[in-house]
This record gives sequence, C-alpha cells and structure tokens, in this order.
Amino acid sequence: MGGDMNLAIIEKEGLRLFVAEILRQKNTVVGVKDQSAVSSIPGDSGFYTYAPINSPEELTLSFDVTLIPPKKYLLPAYEQLLTFNLSPGSIKADVPKEELIVFGVHPYDIIAINQMDKVFSTVPQDNHYLERRKRTTIIGIDPVKVAPRAFWSSMGADTVASGFDLMLTDIGQCYVVDVGSKKGASLLKMAPRTREAAPAEVKERDKVRAGARKRCDANRLSFSYLELPSLLDGKEEHVIWEEKSHLCFSCGTCNLVCPTCYCFDVRDDVSIDLKKGSRYRTWDGCLLSDFAQVAGGGNFRGHRADRYRHRFYRKGQFIYRRFGDIACVGCGRCSAQCPSDIADPVAVFNRLKEGI
Amino acid sequence: MSKPRVAIFDFAGCEGDQLQIVNLEEVVLDVLGRVEIVTWREAMKEQSDHYDIALVEGSITRKSDEERIKAIREKAGILVAIGACATIGGINCMKNFQDEKFVRRYVYGDKAHWYNTYAARPVSAVVPVDANVHGCPINREEFVQVLKALLQGKKPFIPNYPVCVDCKKAGNVCVLLKGQFCMGPVTRAGCGACCVTEGAYCWGCRGLVDDPNMDAARELLGRFGISAGEAIGQIRLYDGYREEAR
Ligand code: SF4
Ligand code: SF4
Repeated sequence: MGGDMNLAIIEKEGLRLFVAEILRQKNTVVGVKDQSAVSSIPGDSGFYTYAPINSPEELTLSFDVTLIPPKKYLLPAYEQLLTFNLSPGSIKADVPKEELIVFGVHPYDIIAINQMDKVFSTVPQDNHYLERRKRTTIIGIDPVKVAPRAFWSSMGADTVASGFDLMLTDIGQCYVVDVGSKKGASLLKMAPRTREAAPAEVKERDKVRAGARKRCDANRLSFSYLELPSLLDGKEEHVIWEEKSHLCFSCGTCNLVCPTCYCFDVRDDVSIDLKKGSRYRTWDGCLLSDFAQVAGGGNFRGHRADRYRHRFYRKGQFIYRRFGDIACVGCGRCSAQCPSDIADPVAVFNRLKEGI
Repeated sequence: MSKPRVAIFDFAGCEGDQLQIVNLEEVVLDVLGRVEIVTWREAMKEQSDHYDIALVEGSITRKSDEERIKAIREKAGILVAIGACATIGGINCMKNFQDEKFVRRYVYGDKAHWYNTYAARPVSAVVPVDANVHGCPINREEFVQVLKALLQGKKPFIPNYPVCVDCKKAGNVCVLLKGQFCMGPVTRAGCGACCVTEGAYCWGCRGLVDDPNMDAARELLGRFGISAGEAIGQIRLYDGYREEAR
C-alpha cells in the first residue's frame, strides 16, 4: 500500500489521545524513551532506548537514534525456543503469543526489519521470528533529529515504502500519517479527529523529509551504496583490514547494536535433577573471537583482521549476493558505539573507494 | 547411581565464594539432592578423602599450599576453581608487585617468620583445572550452570568474550559513551555486566579474555588520560598473574 491516497492527518493532541486509547484497550506498547527514564543511573540521559510505554507522556518521537534497534523485540537477546522432558522424552515449542505495538520506528530500522523478514522466512524458516513479526505492529516515524554518526541518507534508507502499519511524519502542528496495512488502517480508527491530508500538508511532509536528508548528508558515503558489492571485489587483501582491526577488542558491539545483524547461539539449560530443560537462543556476533570456532578447537576466523573484514563483506556483499540487499542501513550505531571507533562503515567504504 | 561426592576447599581468599554457595537459597536443596557434600570446612564438621568433584576457592600463596592442592588434584576426578583468587589469582596477586618481606610483615607483624609465603597464583598455575567459575564473588547462577554441566558430563560454557556483550544484551548505556573509563572491553563476560547495570563501571574481576587486545586497551585508556602504568595497575587489581599485567 502506501501512496498518497492513504495519507491522513492527526493533530498533535489527537496523537496523544490515540496513544492513550491504544493503551486503554490493553495493548502492549513499546516506544522510545530517554534512557534516564529507564535506568535512573546518572549520566544516562541523552541516550534513547525502546521500552514499555504506560502513558502517552512517556513516549518520545523526536529521538535521533536508539542505542539498540527494535530488533530486540523480534529477536530478543535471550529467547526460549522450546522446553523438553528427558523421561519420558517430549519436546514442546515455545510459541510467542504476545501482540506488540512498536510505536516510533525510523525508516532505516524498518528497512532492516524488512531484511530480517526476508532472511528468516527463507527456508528453513524461523518460526519464532516469524510468529513474533506477525504479532508486531510497526508504527514508523520519520526522523527530524539526525544522529551525528548517521548516514542513512546515502544508504537509500531515508524513507521506506513498506514494512510499517502506519508511518508518521511530524510536520509541525500535526502528523501526516501514511497507512501501510489493513492492521494500520484499523488501528488508526482509534485515533480521534483524523482527516485526509491536504496537498499543502503532503508537500510539507516532503520538505520535512528533505530537510532531514540534507542534515544526514553531512556524513555520507562518497558514492552510490549500490556499488558496494563490486567495490569490495578483490579487496580481501587490502591493508585497511589489518590496519583498522589492530585496535579491535573483538567485543561484538558493532554486531549487537546493528539492526541487520541477526546471528545467534543456541544453548540448552537443563534442570538440576537433569530431568527436564529448555533450549534458548542468545545474540552472537561474528566479531567475537570464538564465533567461528568449531569442534576440536579449529577457528575459521581466528584473527581479528579476518573477523573485522568479514563484517564489512557481509554488510556490502555477502547478504547482497544471497538476498539482494545491502546489509547496512546507515543508522550509525556501530560507528558511535565501537569503543575504538573503528567500526564506521563510512570511513571504511569511502577509503576503499578512494583506492588508498 | 550414587550421588557424586563433592568436597569444598579453601586456600588464600575471603571465603566470599563459599558464602555464595551457602546463599544458593532456593536451589540449595536441589543441589543437595544431586550431590553429596563430604568435606566443607566452612559449613560442616565431617571430612572425607573420597570425593569426585573438588571445588577450590582461593589462590596458592605458599609452598605448602602446593602440596595440599596437588593431593586434592590426585583424589578429585574433576577440579573446579571458584572465584577470582582461584581462577586468575585475584587481588592476592597485588602483593606480587611489592616486596615479599614487607608484605608479610605488614600482614603478620612480628609473627611474619611463621609464614613462608610466596607470589600468589591461581590454582591452574600449580595443577590442571577442569573448569573455572570466575568472578569476585562468583555469580550463583553461573556456579549452578557449571555444576549442572559437570553432572551431565559436559564441558561447562565459560564465555570468552568481553563484558560489552553482556552490556548490550542488558541494554546498558556504555560507560565509555558517557565519557568514563571501563575495563569491560578486555574483561571476560558471564556476569551479566552486573556492575555496569548497577551504575558502576567494570573493574575486571573476572580477568582478561583469552586474547585481550592490549594495544587497543592502552589507546582507550590514553583517551581517558590514564597512563600505561596506571592501566597495568588496573589489570593488576585482579589479574596480576597474567603475562599482560607483568
Ligand atoms: S553496519 Fe553499522 S551503520 Fe550499518 S546498519 Fe549496522 S550498525 Fe547501522
Ligand atoms: S565494536 Fe569495534 S572494537 Fe568492538 S568488535 Fe566491533 S570493531 Fe571491534
């Protein structure tokens, strides 16, 4: 769907009432909060995080970027997959049942979710992910504030055509709402006083988007992101991998904060009487030193540089070859959160392009 | 099948890890339903020389400790080091960088000559160790996990990635992002990043990961105005036995 035919307007006060009504009808809503509202540790303000929302006042829609992407609701950091009994032997899958509304997702993160949808619905499909995805309503919001390290404008991720149920744009006095699905349309019925967007308001939306895009352009790839797969061809031995990874802690931060990274490890937890147990999965990352270690102790990527290079190839080439997508949406989380500040795709890809 | 016999021993340490075992509370009965504790100075009078699993707390700081731990190793099918003093040497190793005579006199006063101490070291520096339960103190959940793995005849999972991973999973704001110093990027995870979650920074009590990037650590510390010497000091707080700290 999408398209201008579906554009509606919600006033600012209307949005507040909309959120209140969604909550009143006992929906579980998560949205962006200033981290200080979540952790109460001094110094945690100014960082944004997705967390449960209990009143419209708790919701921030004017964030620049969250520390952890909304993937944590579709692929939780720890997720129980099944429980089992050893005697008599039986297995029962844990099927996610909770309906969730994620209120306020930027286009780049929606694009990342669309990618994960593709990956997890490819055979063998991942039922836990797909079940959660089916039960998740996504309400997008166009960014106005741009994170200092963001570069989504040069990754084709400034706007998104699908993957959301509703998409909001703050044009000052009100929000323009794009309806992306039937689910979104019926949800929107809970909003009071909506009306069709006037042509001037649609133009205003374009202006808001262009303004954000321009601010984001301050930090950008120097070439089209679609060139990435071919740019990486034959660059396996480039000095940059050794050079940059010299300061890599193998801490996996760049993986774990990335909206398109989805690797996980699977473990069993058995009860102390060894009669029953559960199987769960937890986030993993290709930058971690033991990620590619196999039985017998061999490690396919035992060197930092190998792991470091692998991530950039995966972002720019491997996922593209397999699924047709560039696996970086330019959120800039890895750039901002890497302890050594060596994970920035802009720095690496631009340098490869310069050929030095 | 008879229950595996477990013996708990202590060397140089504060007994905080044994206290964590005493504090197992809700699972203590389940644990006792699975194993028979036959020796434990801190909690019982009886003693036995017949055990399958030895849990060892504390670091080795005397020649006589060596004989004792070797005898334990002989008898135990499985030997598990518990707590930083046993797994990595822990804070006892701070004395390794001071004059041994001075340290001995500082602690034992005019009885210093009674104690023939030497540089502190982890249990693994003297005898082979089958599993480590890291931390100062140990994490009770992890202790139970390791115990369960051993009861299943499996190799326990001990993370070899930095605390940053646990922090991301916990959803913490990175201490470095707040402009403060943290040992997390070189410290072994498994603690759930508890100190950061509670508003502190990582002190490194679980010791360095197997392959810490010391160049990156020096560079990072430099950014916080911490000299290479102070950086080493920070590592020596718990992990002074490691080559990287010497
Ligand atoms: S690679 Fe970095 S910038 Fe690109 S999507 Fe992942 S975290 Fe964001
Ligand atoms: S965040 Fe930086 S230091 Fe950590 S693994 Fe990634 S590149 Fe290495």
